[in-house]
Amino acid sequence: MRLMNTTLRTIKSSIKILVQEGGNGWSSFKIPHSVTQYRRLMVSQCMKNEDPKSDSNETINLEEWKSILKLGTQSREKEEIQVHEDSSLNGMRELVEMWRLAGRAVPELVTTEQLKVLMELPTKTARKKYLKFLCIKENIKRSNKEKKKEIKSKMEILDQLKKDDTRELKNTFLLKFWDKSMDLMQRWKSAQAMKFGQPIVFDMVYEKYMSRYELENTVRQVMECEGCNRRSDDPFHLYFCSLQTNGPYHKELVKRYMGAWDNILVTTTEKSHVDIFPQDQLVYLTADSPHELKQFDHNKIYIIGSLVDKCQQTGLSLANAKRLNLATARLPLDRYLKWDVGAKNLTLDQMMRILICLKEGGDWKKALSFVPTRKHEGFIERVPTNK
Amino acid sequence: MMSLRVCYRKVYKKSFVRNGFRFSAFTPVLFPIDHTVMCKAAQSICTSLSAQASANDKKPLVTESKPVRFKDGGRGSPHSFTVFSAGSAKERSNIMQNKVKTSPESQYESLKKREVNVPTVPLGAKEWSKLKEEFKRPGKFEEFMMEQMISTKSDINVAKSLLTFAAKEQCGISYKLLLKYLALCVQQHQIAEVYDVYEIMKNSFKSFDTGAYSLFIKGFSQTDRWKEAITMLEKLKKSITPSPRNYGECIQGAIQHRDKNLAWALYKEMLQAGLTPCEETIQSLFNAELDLQDDAFRNNLIDILNDFRDHQIYPGEPLMQSIKSWFESTPNESWKGHISSVSVNGYCQNCKQQLESIHLMPEEYNSLKDIFIHSVIQGHDTFRKTTPQELQDFQQFVRSRPPYDVVVDGLNVAFISNKGAHSKTLLDVVTSLASGGKRVLVLGRKHMLQESRTWLRQHIKLMQQRVDCFFLDNISEDDPFLLYASLNSGSHCCFLTRDLMRDHKSCLPDAPTRRLFFKWQRGHQLVIPFYTPGSKLRLQPIMCYDTILQRTNFSWHIPFDKMGVNRASFEVPKTWLCLQKKH
Repeated sequence: MRLMNTTLRTIKSSIKILVQEGGNGWSSFKIPHSVTQYRRLMVSQCMKNEDPKSDSNETINLEEWKSILKLGTQSREKEEIQVHEDSSLNGMRELVEMWRLAGRAVPELVTTEQLKVLMELPTKTARKKYLKFLCIKENIKRSNKEKKKEIKSKMEILDQLKKDDTRELKNTFLLKFWDKSMDLMQRWKSAQAMKFGQPIVFDMVYEKYMSRYELENTVRQVMECEGCNRRSDDPFHLYFCSLQTNGPYHKELVKRYMGAWDNILVTTTEKSHVDIFPQDQLVYLTADSPHELKQFDHNKIYIIGSLVDKCQQTGLSLANAKRLNLATARLPLDRYLKWDVGAKNLTLDQMMRILICLKEGGDWKKALSFVPTRKHEGFIERVPTNK
Repeated sequence: MMSLRVCYRKVYKKSFVRNGFRFSAFTPVLFPIDHTVMCKAAQSICTSLSAQASANDKKPLVTESKPVRFKDGGRGSPHSFTVFSAGSAKERSNIMQNKVKTSPESQYESLKKREVNVPTVPLGAKEWSKLKEEFKRPGKFEEFMMEQMISTKSDINVAKSLLTFAAKEQCGISYKLLLKYLALCVQQHQIAEVYDVYEIMKNSFKSFDTGAYSLFIKGFSQTDRWKEAITMLEKLKKSITPSPRNYGECIQGAIQHRDKNLAWALYKEMLQAGLTPCEETIQSLFNAELDLQDDAFRNNLIDILNDFRDHQIYPGEPLMQSIKSWFESTPNESWKGHISSVSVNGYCQNCKQQLESIHLMPEEYNSLKDIFIHSVIQGHDTFRKTTPQELQDFQQFVRSRPPYDVVVDGLNVAFISNKGAHSKTLLDVVTSLASGGKRVLVLGRKHMLQESRTWLRQHIKLMQQRVDCFFLDNISEDDPFLLYASLNSGSHCCFLTRDLMRDHKSCLPDAPTRRLFFKWQRGHQLVIPFYTPGSKLRLQPIMCYDTILQRTNFSWHIPFDKMGVNRASFEVPKTWLCLQKKH
């Protein structure tokens, strides 16, 4: 009789857990083994009270945990749900579940598409990396959701407070300065730059040297560049050169800008920069260059290679510049900074910010404040003069 | 040492004759692979230099290349000092770092970890809960405790009492904790306990993760239920490639239970999956009982040894012992094994037999040359390392000259000493190399031609009068040109640099070519271990034999890694197992 009670209670409690977790919205995903996720070898509460002797007794029953577990598992077998799916995918899903129980960095919910990507990865390490990536993504998503909820509840309280005291209208000089007006002003400036601004070129020929992730990162950085250029006081005229229509770059840019792609004020062209500009004005910026950029020249056209190289392809952009017989330059990082760790190649948006600052007449110290501080220990105080 | 010198004299005489022959030839000739001649060709450069120097009444720049001993002595072997012999990278780094001391931080770390002591006797629930209260992160108490038990190898009963406590307090045991307990059981070979855990886990989980499978395979394979380990391996195969260790344990289990067919089937499957078997696995195959070994079995073992040769794998010391006793236990054949070393000129110290030459076969040499220029210099993009124009100029230059004997990496050599002008160092080294009537090519960069504090024009001019020079663009890489010029001159040509060329080796397309390149490099790279201006030039002798597993009808020579020696990937072992068959 007691045993019956035990089993009944276990079933009840586990069902309760299932119901609780079910509220989190994963009913939208197709999860065949929902049970294993929350499975733990359960024992009913009464077991605790039932066995007072081991608490007080001197001799400890070492095998006791086994009997407890066995009792707990008897009820479990009835709950098995059989869902038919592709057998190899199913095996993989089970494995992922078990990895999660074993405490590895694995996401809680895996969609069938993600599983398919996982199956296609060639090595064990690649699979582990992908799962870790999914896990981190999931965690970020979850924490963002929580934050949003918090902010929402705070806003509601604020709104209620506001409603109480904003009965009468105030006397103001301006209407509320909306983002729209800011946008309009920036677009005017950009349009001006399109007409009279100094050109700056993003060389988009590196598509085939990059993996998918690197390409996505590059496009993100290019967008960031466009954004900070638009916000600057005196924007550059941006050129996206050698941008193949319907190539990977183009596709990704259109996807990320969504409708705005046709409206942004940059020049995109399939032509190379050497076809558009006179060769003696072009300067290719690359960290491998033997020449240091002494000062910013307002008559030159600087080229930035839009490339994120996570696998350290040394000399790639230098080779391109050599091939086209262009002048090259690198930032004088060693002259002004006590370099500590990290590669000397900066991200595109850092590069853009440095150039904007130089263009606006800032000195090197101000411009190089955009170099990440983790990479250097500070500025060299007395800058050595050139011999 | 005396006998060595006599040997050098002989070599010198021979090489003199060969020199005359060589210079009459205009096209780069690949010399016929006559073992003894080839072996001495490379040697001649070091030795004839020394003979020349002693004959000269000028300042002797080159001394006899006798072993330069590091501070800790030569360690018995006659040539423990070449850059490619095992452990020399470690030695160099020790000299550079002036002996790494154990930092106080790491000690602090270990103190921090021992905050909570693992109990030595099983505890009751009350005592455990008291301990848990003292612990800072109550959520992870049980797992942390179990991990500590694994690392301190504590008694299994303590772990059991912890499980009992956890089962009661949390109404169950998590999979994670059970897994850690399983690891503890397997670690201590508690077979009965592993069986119990298996029953429990099988009842409650439909499948396991890879860690649990590995532990079960390890636990089961040595017992009577080893067949279950094989089925688990099959299950594992469905979702992921099992690790070499998984395979190895199954193979060991099969061998122990006298199922040799299964063992070999698994071994072949593992090789097909592209996995490298563990040493223990191979050792267990060599250690298999004698009555189990029929002809096919023995042939398979010989195949493993051939694999060692093909992939340049060197067994460790325990495996070497197994191989030795396997040979010695061969019925009907009387083998005798000895630990041996090899003299500089390539003779086994034990049986006085000459080992295989390090020189490449002509077809290997040609293919290496072709692949080298395609993948290292040109690569996907010739502009990365040089320009097509420069490459063409250089090829033209090399083709227009008779083959060289030594190609010198000018910048690398110039920087071996930081005293005095770099140009002076380079000039001294080059002069002493050329004094033996050798044809020398010096590769440099154009900036060396500009007069500066460290590059004096007069030195460069003197150098250009004595030897051929080629100056590359400042932003081109010089090492590929060095290697190409050396390869192009034929197999007698050596190159002088301290660079180990690892980055260029990694540019080669596949592993066999890399091994070929490494073999060529060992046979042709000259190294100046240290140098001060004005002192005698010492060169490390070139190895003239190949460090590779090799056999004749009556003998086997197997290089192996000595215990306690850290061998880097660009080094080869210097200890050998010499096996002789008695008639």
